[in-house]
Amino acid sequence: MTAELNGADAPEGGLLRAEHLTRHFKIGGALSRRTLHAVDDVNFTIGEREIVALAGESGSGKSTIARVLARIYKPTSGEVFFEGKPLTSVTSRQEQLRYSGLVPMVFQDPFASINPVYRVQHGVLRCLKLHRPSLSAAQRLEEAARVFEVVGLNPDMLQRFPYELSGGQRQRVGFAQALAMKPRLILADEPVSMLDVSIRIGLLNLMAKLRDEEGVSILYITHDIASARYVADRLIVMYAGQIAETGPIEDVLTHPRHPYTQLLLSAVPDPRAPLSVAGETDRGEPPRVIDPTPGCRFRWRCPLAIDTCAQVTPELAELRPNHSAACHVAQNSPEEVKAFSA
Amino acid sequence: MADEPVLEVSGLSVDYVMDQGNVRAVDDVSFTVGRGEFLGIVGESGCGKSTLLFAVAQLLAPPAEVAAGSVTFGGNNLVGLTDGQLSAIRWRDMSVVMQSAMNALNPVKSIGAQFKDVMRAHGKVPDRDIAARSAEVLQMVGIDPVHLRSYPHQLSGGMRQRSMIAMALLFTPDLVIMDEPTSALDVVAQRSLMVQIKELQLRFGFAVIFVTHDMSLISHFSDRLMVMYAGQVDEIGATRTIFDRPLHPYTQGLLEAFPSIRGPRVPLRGIPGSPPDLARVPSGCRFRPRCPYAVDKCAEVAPELYPLDEALVRCVRREDGSLAS
Amino acid sequence: MAMPVSGVPTETPATQAPELGSGRALGRIGRAVRLSRKATIGSVLLLIFALVALFPGVIAHDSPTQDAYPARLGISAAHLLGTNTYGQDLFAQLVYGTRNVLIIAFTVGLATTGIAVLIGVAGAYLGGTWDSSLNVLTDVLLVIPLFPLLIVIAAYAHGGTTVVLIAAITLTSWSYTARQLRAQALTLRNRDFLEAARVRGERRLYVIVVEVIPTMTSLIVASFLTNALYAVLFASSLQFIGLGDPNTVSWGTTLYWAQNNAALQTGEPLWAIVPGALIAILGAAFALLNYAFDEIGNPALRPVRKTRQKKGAKQRG
Repeated sequence: MTAELNGADAPEGGLLRAEHLTRHFKIGGALSRRTLHAVDDVNFTIGEREIVALAGESGSGKSTIARVLARIYKPTSGEVFFEGKPLTSVTSRQEQLRYSGLVPMVFQDPFASINPVYRVQHGVLRCLKLHRPSLSAAQRLEEAARVFEVVGLNPDMLQRFPYELSGGQRQRVGFAQALAMKPRLILADEPVSMLDVSIRIGLLNLMAKLRDEEGVSILYITHDIASARYVADRLIVMYAGQIAETGPIEDVLTHPRHPYTQLLLSAVPDPRAPLSVAGETDRGEPPRVIDPTPGCRFRWRCPLAIDTCAQVTPELAELRPNHSAACHVAQNSPEEVKAFSA
Repeated sequence: MADEPVLEVSGLSVDYVMDQGNVRAVDDVSFTVGRGEFLGIVGESGCGKSTLLFAVAQLLAPPAEVAAGSVTFGGNNLVGLTDGQLSAIRWRDMSVVMQSAMNALNPVKSIGAQFKDVMRAHGKVPDRDIAARSAEVLQMVGIDPVHLRSYPHQLSGGMRQRSMIAMALLFTPDLVIMDEPTSALDVVAQRSLMVQIKELQLRFGFAVIFVTHDMSLISHFSDRLMVMYAGQVDEIGATRTIFDRPLHPYTQGLLEAFPSIRGPRVPLRGIPGSPPDLARVPSGCRFRPRCPYAVDKCAEVAPELYPLDEALVRCVRREDGSLAS
Repeated sequence: MAMPVSGVPTETPATQAPELGSGRALGRIGRAVRLSRKATIGSVLLLIFALVALFPGVIAHDSPTQDAYPARLGISAAHLLGTNTYGQDLFAQLVYGTRNVLIIAFTVGLATTGIAVLIGVAGAYLGGTWDSSLNVLTDVLLVIPLFPLLIVIAAYAHGGTTVVLIAAITLTSWSYTARQLRAQALTLRNRDFLEAARVRGERRLYVIVVEVIPTMTSLIVASFLTNALYAVLFASSLQFIGLGDPNTVSWGTTLYWAQNNAALQTGEPLWAIVPGALIAILGAAFALLNYAFDEIGNPALRPVRKTRQKKGAKQRG
């Protein structure tokens, strides 16, 4: 493996640790008893100085996880530990403020994530005011200019209004706001999905730079595996609210053990490869998980499903070094089984 | 007769008429689409591809208007036709699939009711034929006809897009224009929809103009590819030719901006800078400020499309041979 | 990636319409006012009325209340609108009355909009029980018929002085605007930039006042203008039916006295017609400004001026 793969071994404890994280939503009217299982019994860690990609389709639960980590939602059960301490212990205003500075979020839509009526410096200055109160007003302006430069924006742009900036520039502003608070972990919720393709690389390079030079970890939420591969060290593949597979990204992509991962890989358009006919009949209809029964949630789309898959919910088990998959068939066969050839 | 193109766009220019002056969003664009051909139009935000699409479909609304050129479809120039004359062609011979089904579908009407509206609007079809045809097109795109009774919000994103495509095929048109119909979908649904579109196209023989910003998506499906930048066509040719030997520096940059899931992990650069403000285009070549191969001549001469190696490319250095592949 | 609305490209910065922002707002408003015919006419009218209200003595040289002149004179150079049955100069009366009308209009406009903003926006943003309780309050007042309630209040206060009128109209008008503002705030609630503000640790009150309300300026301004307009109409109506203080100098009270003296029938038509016309003109000024602000805030509503020279190009090819 190349030297770029920092933190390929998931550290014990680590910067952030999710244990049996579960988040359900009640749906339907007031009298309804139906529950949407957005996230179910998810366990993962994020270490220092690493970019972890959380990949999945819409409805997989990845955005919900981000919002739980950002403390927008409380977990239904399970716990999240940051720097060893549980999030439930973050109660006072001061602790909440401290956490939101250490774990900020960057949003998906560059056109909706900045307040259009204020100059672009507004958000950055507010972040500084709230999280680094020891700075004077002049120091805040200096610091705002500094973080703008780090993210590749000309400090003159501080005086511009959002409508004068392109989508890519606005996303950089989002990262600048996060950086201003001296974060340890940035939650990036699909930060490049709404940008033009040639602009995405610039933002992805920025994320790698933040990891390497500023020592920040990033949870990169995406549905684009190719961009995940470009920038991330580890990959977590989610399906229907559960983790299907996780491990060092190169290993997962070259030896995908979970059939869903294989399906995803086969669907990624790659002009340099011939069109793969695998999984052609699969429509890409991810399930809405309402009051699920036990068993693997991928079984209806899986060509390898066996009886056990309908009865027992598979758990993550290590199949290669640091690389786990939650699949009965994969766990019970010594060799790799191909459900969908990539 | 068989070689007559289904659509011929010649010298088309579209202006946005503003108080501060006109902005030319589409500049002198010419291309043809043959019978049954799949043409991909690729470009980023602001390149004019959506405006071009609207101009071809005669859907421009003020302040946008056709400033020059013609759009010849079925032997007639569509520019300047009245709504009445256009409605004979609309949907029967040429239909449009929009980017987001949630924006284009009526949220308070069932799918079947919307199909009915379309069929009533574009021809006299007896009721029982309407029902039969609606079921037929839904099956063509792989949706159970029971969903004729469903409302858009009850369908998944993929199914909604498929019903949009079904709606476009109600009268088996000769040309279907699609504006990024897969951009709101996840990767598996996206691939499935593309395969479906291609299959329908091969089965029914209609031509497709597919506008997208994602070059890799279209690579396996289009016959020809047209790359647009800042309102102009920069390169046009057979898809495989362009992918194997991209001539224009912008096309090269675009192709290199896609990280691959196979092969070695290499750092990519993307294309630094951003597209020009169409109200203030740079002198000479519009791509010059971002081009790694720009020389002085590029600022002086505004290049025209030049045939080279079975493709057309707009680049002075390609034209004079100073830029070797 | 959005579908163009009325053909305007969403990506090109030069053609994107700016939202009202602090500092640049005045400059933009000024320019927009000059460009829009409706705004220009509306502002000019309002300016004239404002000047008249501020400096009545400059314009009308007579006292409005002194019945010093011969009664029932017609139009003349000395009395631009003649005199009424009591020998008062009508022109002076109306000029001085402008002040009362404008005070009512602006005070009610500000008070109503202020209350509506607080209650509507807070309810929408806070959600939950806050929203439910504020909603109940709003709905109760919304359902009660406005005008009868006004009459009851004014009658109960034994004839409305200006203060009573302002209070009564404000009390009965804020609920409608609160509803509207709440509806718009609800659409904004899930915008990413608000979530971003919460995630970076802002308090809720801060988010409401600093992040939400400034993005609603066009609706708030429109509400102010609408409420001012209705205040003029309601106040004048109350005064006309005798529930105002008949000794206040105002257009409505002038109408009241005109009606009392059967002005139209007894050959003093100006006494009845002119105050009514003035009310209508002031109302029109507010309405024009309202339309104009709609266009400033939402460029999709701007009238598109087709230029003549393009006609030739269109027919070509």
